[in-house]
Amino acid sequence: MKKRILAVFLAAAMVLSLAACGTKGDDGGSGESGASTNENELTVWCWDPAFNIYAMQEAEKVYQKDHPDFKLNIVETPWNDVQTKLTTAATSNDLKSLPDILLMQDNAFQKNVISYPDAFASLADSGIDFTQFPEAKTAYSVVDKVNYGVPFDNGTVVAAYRTDILKEAGFTVEDFTDITWDEYIEKGKVVLEKTGKPLLSCQAGEAQLVMMMLQSAGASLFDDEGQPDMVGNKALEKVLETYKALKDSGVLIEVNDWDQYVGSMTAGTVAGTVNGCWILASIQSAEDQSGNWAVANMPRLVGVDGATNYSNNGGSSWAITSNCKNLDLAYDFMKSTFAGSVELYETILPKSGALATYIPAGESEVYAEPQEFFGGQPVYKAVTEYSKKVPGNNTGVYYYEGQDAISTALQNVVNGADIAEEIKTAQETTEFAMN
Amino acid sequence: MSSRTNAGSPGGGASKGGKMTLSRKQNLSGWAFLAPAALLIVLTSFYPMFRAFILSFQRGKGNALQWGGLYNYTRMFKDAIFLQSVKNCFFYLIIQVPIMLVLALVLASLLNNKDLRLKGLFRTAIFLPCATSLVSYATIFRSLFAVDGLVNVLLVKFGILETGYNFLNHAFSAKIVIILALIWRWTGYNMVFYLSGLQNIEYSVYEAAKIDGASPWQSFWKITVPLLKPTILLTAIMSTNGTLQLFDESVNLTGGGPANATITMSHYIYNTSFKYVPNFGYAAAMSFLILILVAILAFVQMKVGDKRD
Repeated sequence: MKKRILAVFLAAAMVLSLAACGTKGDDGGSGESGASTNENELTVWCWDPAFNIYAMQEAEKVYQKDHPDFKLNIVETPWNDVQTKLTTAATSNDLKSLPDILLMQDNAFQKNVISYPDAFASLADSGIDFTQFPEAKTAYSVVDKVNYGVPFDNGTVVAAYRTDILKEAGFTVEDFTDITWDEYIEKGKVVLEKTGKPLLSCQAGEAQLVMMMLQSAGASLFDDEGQPDMVGNKALEKVLETYKALKDSGVLIEVNDWDQYVGSMTAGTVAGTVNGCWILASIQSAEDQSGNWAVANMPRLVGVDGATNYSNNGGSSWAITSNCKNLDLAYDFMKSTFAGSVELYETILPKSGALATYIPAGESEVYAEPQEFFGGQPVYKAVTEYSKKVPGNNTGVYYYEGQDAISTALQNVVNGADIAEEIKTAQETTEFAMN
Repeated sequence: MSSRTNAGSPGGGASKGGKMTLSRKQNLSGWAFLAPAALLIVLTSFYPMFRAFILSFQRGKGNALQWGGLYNYTRMFKDAIFLQSVKNCFFYLIIQVPIMLVLALVLASLLNNKDLRLKGLFRTAIFLPCATSLVSYATIFRSLFAVDGLVNVLLVKFGILETGYNFLNHAFSAKIVIILALIWRWTGYNMVFYLSGLQNIEYSVYEAAKIDGASPWQSFWKITVPLLKPTILLTAIMSTNGTLQLFDESVNLTGGGPANATITMSHYIYNTSFKYVPNFGYAAAMSFLILILVAILAFVQMKVGDKRD
């Protein structure tokens, strides 16, 4: 008897799970077409409910004021899934599963547009004024002088510091503004000695800090033709040297993953960080540290032409796919919201910290409001100021190949390998991947 | 009904018609039962394999593919990262598989002891790691071996280390952590095969050996191992196959690092298809190399293991 009951349960569980699979399949497929067929509706893929999904919802409300019938269908899709689905759709020549609009990481933009030129709609005739965005930002989504993306969030690099820890070591945040990496290391050593805390943490094996340093001097791993430009690249050599010096001095500690990285800040084991300004959202999750943080620009490289205190890391842009049936609606929606509505950016900033790359929005008063968490500093205004000074650089189609090769080189350099030798290997690896 | 009238009608083999019908009927129903599964396997497994094989002879970015002949197959032997990943996989294979199989064998024969109490509990405990998801166990191992993770805390507490050691950031220790994780995850799985194999060995054989004065050590090597040979062969082939296709541990535990020291072939194949500028032809070619390697190793193991001639 017992066995029979058990068998019934098992069978029921199997039927249920099958049914669950079935519905899931329906959701994922949503028929044959991912894009909206209704002429007043657009389908969007983006990934963060607190950030870009929220921004899209607000954009919908803004647009609905003049177009009451308009509707957005926002599908939460993590970036890795967006990339996989895009790859699958494009390689199977079946673009029907794509949405009208999708959010794309800036660093993947070139690769995707060049690999699948048929998947994206050109924005050349959209009437969007791209001069309203910083050039360094739009450059990510321009292929052959044609715009394919509407810039969204800002990845301008900030250096954030714990003012209470700096004070213990006898410094203020002014001592860390407009400085060089050499000064950063010198002062960092003092902080380490007096408080036992390193100035920043990094994920081991991630070349993000290196990429930020490179761009701060307008340099890149690739030349203008997109060929690897690593051997003899003075900026790159200096960057690797600087990273090693940071690590050797103990001013920088390496952790193994993202959670540990965020943890090192929220738990207060480090006195600051250097990253894209989106990191401010993670910093603010440690409410007990309110009032103890301040923001400055990042240190600049020493002895490199064109070195600045400004750079960029991450960020994303909206792309319109060629599967969109209502191109005019999509153009107009983008033009009236993300590329034309200061009001939209004023709404989304306080709640999500979504910093605009739309230049007119930066002049809004909302951006100039002092932030309590950062000791009354108007950080969003400061970041908007920084973003105007970021030098542009060419990320190239083979961005991820180059970055991985450099991160391999970086790990070997940190362990004592010869810089020139490692750069040569990295260049060979990248050239091989491109061949 | 219809088949009977068919058989009854004049035609080939009418004289033995009755018998033929029966066997034919059974044959037909056999095929009918097999057909759906066979069709599904052909459609979802063999057909994609065939397409992948064709794809492996093409080259180009993303969709822009052209015929490349053997280009992809020669390219991989010049690819430093791929060669590194092959080396890593064989390192895992040579170190981890023998340790794991011997351990599983020893555990199985210990747990096969008739007089052991709480046998079920021990068996479950050792098998349980198999029921955990690959991603979550890899993530847990990563946090265990973090600089401020449990392992380092214990090592420092017992005075073995002075400060935490970054296991995952050094090439050799990262490989060892992966091997430890694999042993933890898969030993119980193999043990279950051995346990079921042991059920086929008469207990009286052991008793007889005992009476003849054999030590447990001797009866293990002289009775258990030879009689379990088919099972050992099976587990060896399965483990070889699994190790060469290792993916989750490389991606989630070490991220392939430091400096590609732990990257596996499957991880690199994934990168070339999805992370980098997509090169599907090359990825397909590398996948076929794994297939060839597995086939060769399985063949060798079968030749070595099978002494029937």
